[in-house]
Amino acid sequence: MPRIAVASLLLALPLGLVSPFTLISSLQSSESLIQEVAPRIQLHFGPFIRFVHQWANWATLFALWLVIYFVALSIRRRRDAELRQSELTRALQLAELRLLKSQLNPHFLFNSLNSVRALIADDPAGAQKAVTQLARTLRYTLSAGREELVPLARELEIVEDYLALESLRFGERLRVERDLAPEAMAVRVPVMLLQTVVENAIKHGIAELPAGGDLRIVAGLEGGTLHIDVENTRPQKTERVFRSEGEGVGLDNAAERLRLLFGAKANLHLDLSRVEVAVARIRIPETA
Amino acid sequence: MRAMIVDDEPLARRELRRLLAEFAWIEIVGEAANVGEAAPLIDRLLPELLFLDIQMPGGTGFDLLERLEHLPRVVFTTAYDKHAVRAFEVNALDYLLKPIEPERLAAAVARAQAAAASAPAAVASSGTILERLFLRDGERCWFVPLREVKLFTAEGNYVRISWDKIHPLLGRPLSSLESRLDSKRFFRANRQQIINLEYIESVDLGVNGRLHVQLRGGPEVQVSRRQARLFRQLASV
Repeated sequence: MPRIAVASLLLALPLGLVSPFTLISSLQSSESLIQEVAPRIQLHFGPFIRFVHQWANWATLFALWLVIYFVALSIRRRRDAELRQSELTRALQLAELRLLKSQLNPHFLFNSLNSVRALIADDPAGAQKAVTQLARTLRYTLSAGREELVPLARELEIVEDYLALESLRFGERLRVERDLAPEAMAVRVPVMLLQTVVENAIKHGIAELPAGGDLRIVAGLEGGTLHIDVENTRPQKTERVFRSEGEGVGLDNAAERLRLLFGAKANLHLDLSRVEVAVARIRIPETA
Repeated sequence: MRAMIVDDEPLARRELRRLLAEFAWIEIVGEAANVGEAAPLIDRLLPELLFLDIQMPGGTGFDLLERLEHLPRVVFTTAYDKHAVRAFEVNALDYLLKPIEPERLAAAVARAQAAAASAPAAVASSGTILERLFLRDGERCWFVPLREVKLFTAEGNYVRISWDKIHPLLGRPLSSLESRLDSKRFFRANRQQIINLEYIESVDLGVNGRLHVQLRGGPEVQVSRRQARLFRQLASV
C-alpha cells in the first residue's frame, strides 16, 4: 500500500506541473465573468485586485488538481481492491475445482460414458442400469465434501456401483470376491475412503494385467476395531505400464485423512511384501 | 481400406466397430486387446489403418508402434490422457477422444483416405520397405517419413536417428533396420552409419581409399574402403 502511494505521488508530480496549463482553457469562462465586474472595482483597487485575481486563479487550479488527484487515487484504490477480491474468489474456485477433479477420476468417467454409448444399441436395459450407477457414483462423489463419516454399508453401495461400471469396461478380466461381516456394516467410516482404495487396486492391479486379476474385499470387526482388507493381483514388474506413479501414491492422501480424523487409532497401510498380491489394510476404531 | 482396432475394452471395440460400419470402404480385418496380441497380428494382416488405444495392460499404444515391423496409418483413441493429448497437439497426430463423436471419426477416416490416395501404391502393398518410422523422445512422438532422415548411427543395440533438428533413439539394432530401407536412397557408409544419398553435399577423397562425405547441415561421414568401391559404382550410374 505505501508503495502504491509513493508511486501515485511520483506520478502526480509531473501531472501537477502540466495540468495548470491544460486546465487554463476550461477556466476561461469564470475569468470572463470576473472581467465584466472587474473594470469598476479596478478603479479603486487595481493592483491589489489583479494580485488577488491571479492568486485565486492559481488556488482554484490547485484545488481542482487536488480533487482530480484524490478522485483518481480513490478510483484506482477501489479498482485494486475489486481486483484483489475477484482474484481471491477465483483462487477459491480453482481450489474447489481441483478438489472436485481429484475426486472425479476423468479416465473412469469418460470410459464409462463410452461403455454406456456402446450398450445403448445392444443392451438398452444394461445401458439404463449403467446410467443409474454412474449417476449414483457421481452424486456420492460430489456430495463427499458435506459429510465426513458414513456407515460402511453406505460406502459399500457406491463401491458396488463403481465395480459394476468397471466390470462393463474390463469384462471377464475383473473378478471380484467379497467377505463382509454383517456386524461391520454400521461402523462409520470416512466417506470415499474405501472407494479410493478400491479404485487404486484396480488402477495398479487389474487395469495393468492383460489376463485380468482378482479383487477381494474383506471387512470384519475385531475388538472394537473395523478391519478392511482390499487385495488385488499384482502385475509383474515387466507388465507395469504406468511407470510414473507407484502403487501406493494414490493412497497417501487417504492415509493422511484417516490420521487427521482419528489420530493414531486408525491407519491405512499398503502391504507389498508378497509378489503376487498387494493388500491395503484399513483399521478404524468402532467408536467414531 | 483394411483397418484394425486395438483396445483393451471389449465394449469400446464393439462401439468403434459400429461407428465404422457407416463407412463401407473400411474393412475391419482384426481386433486386439493388448500390445502382445496386436503386434504379431498387425505384422501378419498388414492393415492400412489402425485405431489404437493408449492405456492398455502390458504396454501402451506407443510401445506397440515402436515394436511394429509394418507401420500402418494410426488414429489414436483415448478416453482421457493429459500427457498423450499434449503429445498429439504438439505433433498434429490424429486422435479421437472417447466417447467418439461420429463427426470427428468421419473427418479422421477422410484424412486417412486422402493420405492413402496421395501415397504411392507401393507403400500400401509392400510390407518389406519401410516408408515411415514411429519415434518417441520423452513426451514427444512423431511419425517420421524415412526419406527425411539424413543419417542413422548405431549406438549399441539402438539407432540414433538424425531427422530435422532432433536426434531421437530407435529401440532396434541398425542391422535389422538396414534390410528394410530403400537401397536406392540409403547407403551403408561404414559399420556404424547409414546415410541418405539425397543429403550428400560433397564427397572428398581421403587416405587409404576412404571417402569423406559431407552431409547437408553436417556432419561429415567417412565411407570405409570396402564401401567406397560400392559407392563409386553407385555414383557413376
